[in-house]
Amino acid sequence: MNIVLIVLGKLISFISKSLNLGNGSTWPGHIALSLNKNFVSDILKNSNTKIVFITGTNGKTTTAKLIETILEKNGKSVFLNKSGANLLNGIASSLIIESDIFGKIKKNFAIFEIDENALTRVSQKIKPDYLIALNLFRDQLDRYGEINTILNNWAEVYVKIIDKTKFILNADDPQIAYLGMQPSIKRLYFGLNNSSLKTDLPQDAADSILCPKCSTRLVIDPVYYSHLGNWSCPKCGLKRPQLDSEKNSVYPLEGVYNMYNVLAAVLLAKEIGISQTNIDKSLLDFKPAFGRQEEITIKDKKVKFFLAKNPTSFNESLRTINALGAKYLLLALNDRIPDGRDVSWIWDVDFEIFIGPKIEIFAAGDRAYDMGLRLKYSCIKHKTFEDLNEAVKESLINLPRGETLFVLPTYSAMLEVRKILTGKKIL
Amino acid sequence: MTNPKSNYTPGAKPYSLRIGWLYPDLMNTYGDRGNVIVLQKRCQWRGIKTEIKEIGIGTSDKDFLSCDLLLMGGAQDTQQEVVAKDLKDKKKTFKAMVENGIPGLYICGGFQYLGEYYKTANGNKLPQLGILNMYTQNPGRERLIGNIAIDAKNLFGKTTILIGFENHGGRTILGKGIKPLGKVLKGFGSNDSAKEEGAIYKNSIGTYFHGPVLPKNPLLADYLIKTALELKYGKKFELEKLDDSLEEKARKVIAKRLSVAI
Repeated sequence: MNIVLIVLGKLISFISKSLNLGNGSTWPGHIALSLNKNFVSDILKNSNTKIVFITGTNGKTTTAKLIETILEKNGKSVFLNKSGANLLNGIASSLIIESDIFGKIKKNFAIFEIDENALTRVSQKIKPDYLIALNLFRDQLDRYGEINTILNNWAEVYVKIIDKTKFILNADDPQIAYLGMQPSIKRLYFGLNNSSLKTDLPQDAADSILCPKCSTRLVIDPVYYSHLGNWSCPKCGLKRPQLDSEKNSVYPLEGVYNMYNVLAAVLLAKEIGISQTNIDKSLLDFKPAFGRQEEITIKDKKVKFFLAKNPTSFNESLRTINALGAKYLLLALNDRIPDGRDVSWIWDVDFEIFIGPKIEIFAAGDRAYDMGLRLKYSCIKHKTFEDLNEAVKESLINLPRGETLFVLPTYSAMLEVRKILTGKKIL
Repeated sequence: MTNPKSNYTPGAKPYSLRIGWLYPDLMNTYGDRGNVIVLQKRCQWRGIKTEIKEIGIGTSDKDFLSCDLLLMGGAQDTQQEVVAKDLKDKKKTFKAMVENGIPGLYICGGFQYLGEYYKTANGNKLPQLGILNMYTQNPGRERLIGNIAIDAKNLFGKTTILIGFENHGGRTILGKGIKPLGKVLKGFGSNDSAKEEGAIYKNSIGTYFHGPVLPKNPLLADYLIKTALELKYGKKFELEKLDDSLEEKARKVIAKRLSVAI
């Protein structure tokens, strides 16, 4: 049965790729699962592949790419689920592509990004060897619901996989740290311990500000961003756990938020048995995932992408490009399914704090005028464009030679801008 | 009629409003602070001074009572429980303010709070503040999510389209003495079976509109400002017109998608 599904799946994947149908990354898996709901566990039972899950609101793709780089440069074979294909069908599809027709996978490691809301469902079929939980922020409330709902679901996951899985957890995110405080759980904590990285700005978009145990307002000092930091509860005494990893000598990406991604990836690599020296060496060759600080050069002008898909990632992107001296910005706001249909969240972004008077801003996307309003009410001068093509063109014409245009797009807007610039689709 | 800006002579004390923002750190999930920013700016652009007073755990009754306009957003469940505990002590003061006609904007969770009770999907009745004669029930069916347009004739006295984004599981049923904010043109509304959205009681307005509601509905923002000024200063006000062309463009994008004429 599974042989048929694999052959069929490989065929579908091949056809959809050659015809550029675009659904090649989830379709074969979807069909396989509808014919055999245990397809994923059947295939994995057959193989010695170690499985890594990465979940959380922000940083999944970058962390997966970091791990892939470290492992591959150190002689391990690795495969990933395609970015955006982070539900069970996407994982099934990646298994179809990677396995031989007898359903055997030869790669050493499978690195799966798992949508934070799909973790429960996926964990019913796969027990990972490692689970990395990065963070939980408000994101696409229309689709995901509120953080508390996700946390309740996660609590169920832990019970199911606790006997096999080693957890790699962000100690600076109170709710995630708390999940690791159960008896008999195997876990490692990463977090920051460097007050020079702290922010003194008010973190209005912070979510997990109450004690996970007694719901008292937490003290977080220092705060690194949003609700991440050295937290403690003034009432019940619960506090951030001891860190197993707090710094690294190589950080291939800008921004405090990326330090967390690096710490998570490095902690996993060490756990697998790769030496610190070899890890650092491999990180020097790191190339960013598309849209995540990815740089495109067009003649003598540069375009740099900072995916900005929720208040926290937007704020951190603004903070980072500020530090890089950004002068030219293109903000592209879409409200399609992958972006979240509700754009209310842009009002939780701290434009007032981060945008100086000398920065030139173009706003575009399906909801260009909503972005325009957000900027208007922050008293920030800007231009709005109804047509994204025109906005990209105008931004580049307006950009002096040798300068960089910083693009902060939502997910689907990022794909569009990239397509306009490079003339081809990536998914 | 008084135009706050043209009436202002140097040396005279400018008009001012104190805006009470209820539980900003606990009840600000859906960009609700956008509403505060819009009120603040639209006052500022007209020379009206504003002060934002955060009403939170431990705020005194005196400070609460000093506010001319109230705002309350939605919250996630755990936060809502913490707020519920604290609001018990403030209930009497809160009710008196609503009864005295202090204008207020209550969004989603904040709106539900004003009612008698919230009935959960499994039948539990959670008592709410009981300030307004209404209740909310969650039938356990799908959440009501999407862009929405209503005609808020009840508030403005003539057809006035409000545009926003709704996302709620609860359905709110109004009792006697409470009018809906508007009739649903496209979308679900706070009570999808009645095709009605929101509530009006005296000068308090409840709604499920996110988006947030005020940036794309400047008329509603100005209504709140005008009402607050009139109550505070005891005379009629005519607010200076602002350039709302960008607001109009943003409204049109959604109205067009919903096929609603504005």
